[in-house]
Amino acid sequence: MPLAFFVSFSKLSRPVRAWLAAAALLLMALFAPGLAQAQKLQPIPAPAMHVTDNTNTFDARQKSALEARLVNFEQATGSQVAILMVQTTAPEDIAAYANRVGNTWKIGRRAIGDGLVIIVAKRDRKVRIEVAKALEGAVPDLAAKEVIDEAITPAFRAGDYVGGLSNALDRLETRIRAEALPSPTPPAPDAAQASIDGDDALAGRNPNGFQWYDLAVFLFIAVPLLGGVLRRLLGRGFGSVLAAAIVGGLAFLFTWSVPAAGVAAVLAWVLAMLSWSGLSSRPGMRGLPGVIAGSGFGNVLGGSSRGSSSGGGGFRSGGGGDFGGGGASGDW
Amino acid sequence: MRPLILTLLLTLLLGGCGYNDFQSLDEQSTAAWSEVQNQYQRRADLVPNLVATVKAEAKFEQDTLTQVIEARSRATAIQVTPETLKDPQAFERYQQAQAQLGGALSKLLAVSEAYPDLKSNQSFRDLRVQLEGTENRITVARNRYIQAVQAYNVKARSFPTNITARVFGYAPKPAFTASGDAQSGVAPKVDFGNPNPQPAR
Repeated sequence: MPLAFFVSFSKLSRPVRAWLAAAALLLMALFAPGLAQAQKLQPIPAPAMHVTDNTNTFDARQKSALEARLVNFEQATGSQVAILMVQTTAPEDIAAYANRVGNTWKIGRRAIGDGLVIIVAKRDRKVRIEVAKALEGAVPDLAAKEVIDEAITPAFRAGDYVGGLSNALDRLETRIRAEALPSPTPPAPDAAQASIDGDDALAGRNPNGFQWYDLAVFLFIAVPLLGGVLRRLLGRGFGSVLAAAIVGGLAFLFTWSVPAAGVAAVLAWVLAMLSWSGLSSRPGMRGLPGVIAGSGFGNVLGGSSRGSSSGGGGFRSGGGGDFGGGGASGDW
Repeated sequence: MRPLILTLLLTLLLGGCGYNDFQSLDEQSTAAWSEVQNQYQRRADLVPNLVATVKAEAKFEQDTLTQVIEARSRATAIQVTPETLKDPQAFERYQQAQAQLGGALSKLLAVSEAYPDLKSNQSFRDLRVQLEGTENRITVARNRYIQAVQAYNVKARSFPTNITARVFGYAPKPAFTASGDAQSGVAPKVDFGNPNPQPAR
């Protein structure tokens, strides 16, 4: 880093310098480039139920019968099987679309990942059984193909969609039951919903990838430094308060929780009030101490993603399935 | 005043250096790459069985068969380890060899349409299903690798984490490009005899 560039910084007036310092720190913290990818692909419907029919193929009775069946299966085994009927998957082929559905819905239990989706693209006359990695042993590609060829295709050709899907489910459920997966557990509170300002805030890591370790490093190394700088620039009282405010603001940005931000701000204020004479810059101070070098503070800006839970005893994603392209496709 | 500036600078660098991110992103892209290789390997393992099955068809076009065999041996001869992953040329060679094998395979399957005995042969049909599944897995694995490398490269190229990258030697990594494929991340489309195949994405 060319330090000469920053020398002119010291020629500025005091409040301007302080403001610049604070602004620079905030900018640094906000430096998290996002990758927005514009895609013109078919949208993936929100999974409100185990059976999602966007084609009006089923009447209400058929749909609720299929739904009840899949709910019972999930309650009995824990494994999640979902059915999605769409008109078309263009421009993607059904395999790519099915893979996106599986990974978006996250079907299957979180720790086990036992999910399976049957996708029917009615206008394309294509069907696919998409199998999560955890079930690729229970339903290998050849077995999925067999189910399509023997259970689904003949019935679909005759226009009997419900019959074909029921036959397919008979075979698939038998295979999944034979897999000796762990028993279902009573539904636990969705971890993705857990805000980190609860009592379990010190669990180390929340789903957004925020690490308390980072905050700790930040608080105990950066804050005294910042506090020292601000105190030298602005005097003890105001400098400490400003440091506390900056830290509180940052903490709020990272955690989106007011209590955590408050705690951080108070801690920062205390730390900044304590005397810290600043580092003396020795020429030849090369390596940083390990803990400073090792504090990646960029990954704490995860958007807080709250999963949308559906009311009315509908489908709740188990948050598990990793779909790696297993399964089989067919047409009729 | 100078020590203060230094102090401030240290603080800022500490906030955005991203060293830990590089650890995890590097690891993720390496893992994603091994998955890509696994799936390509799986495809290569299926080829001998496929060839043996097709050979049983006495009148089968020998050219097509030879092309598949040669493409497979070329593809398996090139191994890209995480170390040589940093070399764009080696990466490109690997990608081309795999694309050639994919092309040769889809040609073989297209030609096989003209042989009713072969088409009704159960083991040939099974192999086709497995091959199709493998192609799907390759596509998924490639997409994941592209995403992992994208995340890594953005970190490695953007300020201020590019300083960390330079200091610790995290060079940007090559990703799949659209050469021979319709688009990066799309494996060569294996045509399973649909009268009107959907174009690959």
